[in-house]
Amino acid sequence: MGDKSTPLLAVLQLLRKYNLKGTEDILRKEANLGDVEYENLDLPEVELANILTAHHTESDPYSYEFAYDSLKKFVENSLDVYKYELSTLLYPVFVHMYLILILYDHNEHAIKILEKFGPEQDEYYQDDLKRLCAVKNKDQVKGNELAEIYSSNKFQVQLSRDASTQLKRYLHEQKSSPIIINIIKNHIQIDVCDGPGRSHAQVKSTLGGLLGEASRNENRTKVYYGLLKEPDLQILPAQIEDEEEAEETPDKPKKKKAKKDNIFMKKPKSDPNAPPNDRIPLPDLKENDKVEKGKALREAAKRVQLGPECLPSICFYTLLNSGHTAICADICDDSTLLAVGFNNSTIKVWTLTTVRLRGMKSADKLQDIDREAVRLWSLQCWTCIVVYRGHVWPVWDTRWSPHGHYFASGGHDRIARLWATDHHQPLRIFAGHLSDIDCIQFHPNSNYIATGSSDRTVRLWDCLTGTQVRIMTGHRSTPFTLAFSACGRWLASGGGAGEIQIWDLSSGLPSAAIPPASNSPIHALAFSRDGTILASGSLDSTIKLWDFAIISDENINEENGNAAPTQKEDKFLLRSYATKNSPIKSLHFTRRNLLLAVGSYDGSV
Amino acid sequence: MSDSELGYGSSFTVDSVKVIAESVGIGNLVDDAAKELADDVSYRLKIIVQDAMKFMQHSKRQKLSITDIDHALKVQNIEPQYGFIQPDSLPFRFASGGGRELHFIEEKDIDLSEILSAPPPKIPLDVSLRAHWLSVDGVQPTVPENPPPLSKEAQKLESVDPITKLSKPANKDAAGKPVCGKAARLKASESVHVKQLATHELSVEQQLYYKEITEACVGSDEGRRAEALQSLACDPGLHEMLPRMCTFISEGVKVNVVQNNLALLIYLMRMVKAMLDNQSLYLEKYLHELIPSVSTCIVARQLCMRPEVDNHWALRDFAARLMAQICKTFNTSTNNLQTRVTRLFSKALQCPSQTNNESGPSMVPSMKESEKTPLASLYGAVQGLAELGPEVVKVFILSRVRWLGERVEGALSGIGGADRLAAGNLKHQLLKVLAPVVRAHRQPPDLPDDYKREYGYLGPSLQQMVSKLRSSPTGGNAGGAVAVVTCTPPLLPSPSPAPGPSLAPAPAPAPSPSPASVTIQHTSQAHAKTIESVASRNVVITSSAPQSPAPSTPPPQKFVIVSSQQKNQVFTNTQPASSAGHIVMHSSQPTIVRSQNAPVSVVAKPVFARSGSAQQPPPELDDLSHLA
Repeated sequence: MGDKSTPLLAVLQLLRKYNLKGTEDILRKEANLGDVEYENLDLPEVELANILTAHHTESDPYSYEFAYDSLKKFVENSLDVYKYELSTLLYPVFVHMYLILILYDHNEHAIKILEKFGPEQDEYYQDDLKRLCAVKNKDQVKGNELAEIYSSNKFQVQLSRDASTQLKRYLHEQKSSPIIINIIKNHIQIDVCDGPGRSHAQVKSTLGGLLGEASRNENRTKVYYGLLKEPDLQILPAQIEDEEEAEETPDKPKKKKAKKDNIFMKKPKSDPNAPPNDRIPLPDLKENDKVEKGKALREAAKRVQLGPECLPSICFYTLLNSGHTAICADICDDSTLLAVGFNNSTIKVWTLTTVRLRGMKSADKLQDIDREAVRLWSLQCWTCIVVYRGHVWPVWDTRWSPHGHYFASGGHDRIARLWATDHHQPLRIFAGHLSDIDCIQFHPNSNYIATGSSDRTVRLWDCLTGTQVRIMTGHRSTPFTLAFSACGRWLASGGGAGEIQIWDLSSGLPSAAIPPASNSPIHALAFSRDGTILASGSLDSTIKLWDFAIISDENINEENGNAAPTQKEDKFLLRSYATKNSPIKSLHFTRRNLLLAVGSYDGSV
Repeated sequence: MSDSELGYGSSFTVDSVKVIAESVGIGNLVDDAAKELADDVSYRLKIIVQDAMKFMQHSKRQKLSITDIDHALKVQNIEPQYGFIQPDSLPFRFASGGGRELHFIEEKDIDLSEILSAPPPKIPLDVSLRAHWLSVDGVQPTVPENPPPLSKEAQKLESVDPITKLSKPANKDAAGKPVCGKAARLKASESVHVKQLATHELSVEQQLYYKEITEACVGSDEGRRAEALQSLACDPGLHEMLPRMCTFISEGVKVNVVQNNLALLIYLMRMVKAMLDNQSLYLEKYLHELIPSVSTCIVARQLCMRPEVDNHWALRDFAARLMAQICKTFNTSTNNLQTRVTRLFSKALQCPSQTNNESGPSMVPSMKESEKTPLASLYGAVQGLAELGPEVVKVFILSRVRWLGERVEGALSGIGGADRLAAGNLKHQLLKVLAPVVRAHRQPPDLPDDYKREYGYLGPSLQQMVSKLRSSPTGGNAGGAVAVVTCTPPLLPSPSPAPGPSLAPAPAPAPSPSPASVTIQHTSQAHAKTIESVASRNVVITSSAPQSPAPSTPPPQKFVIVSSQQKNQVFTNTQPASSAGHIVMHSSQPTIVRSQNAPVSVVAKPVFARSGSAQQPPPELDDLSHLA
């Protein structure tokens, strides 16, 4: 089918749609179109409209520039109440103008419009624009990942009712040049919500996604972000522990005891936000696990209370002679083992205690960037036990559930999968991300999985139903690491440009944005076990401690006022520690709140 | 913005495609085809690079590597390019000609047999894990594994633009002491907004460290001094003590110059050297204290008790080298350091008659002896200029060689051992410094008469020296430019107390020290032809007994510096003297000057309070006082 006949076919389809038989026949005769082509008239609606629109203005590619200029002027001249909301329209309109111009072979005009208006788009879109500008002709549009995302999905824009009325009035005035009207009709999903227009800061806080903001409706599902009720354990050994403690610190045993009581008292209380314990089936605790749990609890009793006055000690593990070969690192929950993944697909495990490695009974907790498969390694016999196949493309991240048994993976194929150790097929497939899934994290109650993706969204998935329950936009760059707070309500994500976002899972809204200190991506985030301190490690070889108590307090206070999230960095920053050219790979708080950090020394810098 | 515009436009040019086509044997590529290819190739390459960037980001790197490209190709189901392994980036070479410009990667021929015969490369070290405390209860300990608390750049920024320190809120980046106690409580309540003052408190540990270091540096124990200097030269995180260290040095120099205490001056200069060598310190803020001290040690009229015997020349040489190092490190177009230092030295060399009368032989005798710059200062100035490079020597010394020669001649023919010794040293130094410059400057033939006419008294000796240099073309060393005296650590006393041959001809006025406290060291042999030119410079410091026969006997517990010098015939000979000497110091007493009563402390008060009766500081100090 020749390219030239495509518009004709579109017209024919339109005529048929409106049942204009006579004209249709005449046109068919005149255009000499065969029956075969005629019968195959099933152009998608969107493309049809596109073709017809473009056809209308094809003769005048210059009008695009004027149209964009006029839209820009309209946004600039509108009242402040609407201005910021309306300004979110500019980028999608611009992108689609470019794509339409390319589609209709006005390549020079497309490049011209890109060069003229591209630099004035928000800076977090610049990366996308650079990727998009690789597309320079019609054929490339079809194969290009980004261009396809734009043309097959609608860009989400949130407008207040008043702002959308303004927009409608403007569009009505522009009847003569339907470019913008068509783009908005075909490619932009306007989410109208009641209430007053949002302020500049409010609009900014949720902007940045590849396809605009998350619509409000998507975040209405209730999320049980509370923690699971801990099973009751007979804490017999605790008595022994008590005696030990008394020996260790004879001067203040009373205080310790009070603290411990406190910790044990807390447990029976049931959290209204917690899911029922049997919401997803969890494996029964074996005798071994109970012993482990008991150990963990006793360790937790010795925990140091952290706060701005009492900063944690940091033990830094430097990988020497590793150069760029060390990729990722993780420390197991009881802080006895350190695993490091290397770029030649090997994993090395170090013990961090004096205990010899052999014969450890421990959860198999390893992750590696492996191509197209996830491997399960046993730490008992040091072999790969199972290879889970399912991912078609590289797997970027895997993570165990805090309760074991389940693990999740996500990668280049834009799909996150939930696996269980006793199935070789994934239990759930979470599809919806528009680009690579770069990081994945289990919620502390094992019921949810958070994923961060190159489409600059963070999404929360329900393991039980396999549906997406939260979509959070506001990241300006790809999130590379995720961390749930100890209480389960907050999710922190660290981005490729060095910014940290704190999300409130109850609403799905960003509750704080910590602007980047430098341009280097954040590669590790960790909450202290008591949830008062957030530690971040970045490629620029610094570990920063943030006062999370302030962040969370503020949000609870602000909940009613619905005020804009705060952007003050220094209020949150407690301290920053630099290492000697050792970019941070991993951060981990031990049960006693000692911060362990892993980095590989990079002598070349 | 310009960056992003660049980003939108980059693509292969038609020319590039044609060149590449040529390189694979397609000579006549049509323009249209090249254009099509260029567009397509640009697009595909961009896609691959975009994918490769994902691999780079997940490898937690900021530098794209070849393996990333390989992975990206694999993701696209394209066979990766095997055989391209390069740890670093390949530089593009540039070539032009025939109106075409070309960037290409140079491909070198590799000789396989060479590789085969070469010893196998070292096995790379295995990855190992090392743990250290990055922070203890919120405080970053200053251990070598941690970076210095305040980076050199930050120190530099602070010294250039002190405002930045004040504007920085609470200085959280510098992981020093945590905000604690009252200040923290105030801050937490946020009820009172007190502007934070820049604090200059030292912690107890720092006070202790300061005390230990300063005591060891000027103390009697050579081993401890070496350790202390090592610590000064290597340890990070000393910047908080810098103001005090510098005050210690500058006050110490002031006092000890007046007291003519050579040993202490040497110790203090070694401290300066150690601090200059410390990679983590940025000293520019303290140059106004250091430069006058160092220049004092170069050009001061008198640095030791008995100039006729003590080897203060070594100190002058050492300080001159320090000064050159300072100039090299800190000279910028704004502070004009080198210019100012050069001016300082050239002022000392200024011929008093130069302004009035170019030919000054008649003037010199008429001048009063006291108005003349002392020969020792001249020596220092020459040495200081010489360290700054041959160009400086040419401009400032060579033009005055005639006058300097007259001074030397006058002193050598005059009476007074000290003057003759000084003149001899000065002459030797001048010849050594000037010969290479003259050699580069003048064309052969070197006629003694020409030299005599042009350079006056020093002409003939210079001529011999130059012709000697010319005759040994490779002889960079023959110029005698070898460092003569090194005062740098480690200076360990040679264990043998037996007087060596170099000590035997010790001049008569020197007190014969008790053998147990004398140490000597070897002198390096000079050229074999003329052995008589061995000039040994031994500085031997003894804790002299009270019965020391020296005329101006210092109070006990002071140092006596003994030097053995061979005079006269050394300098008439043109054979360059390559003499080496070590300075060895011994003392049984702590060396803080006793006549002052200021306690040794770390408060901002200087360690060496200048006593009221002390003489005026040497005039050299004033020249750079505007730096303060």
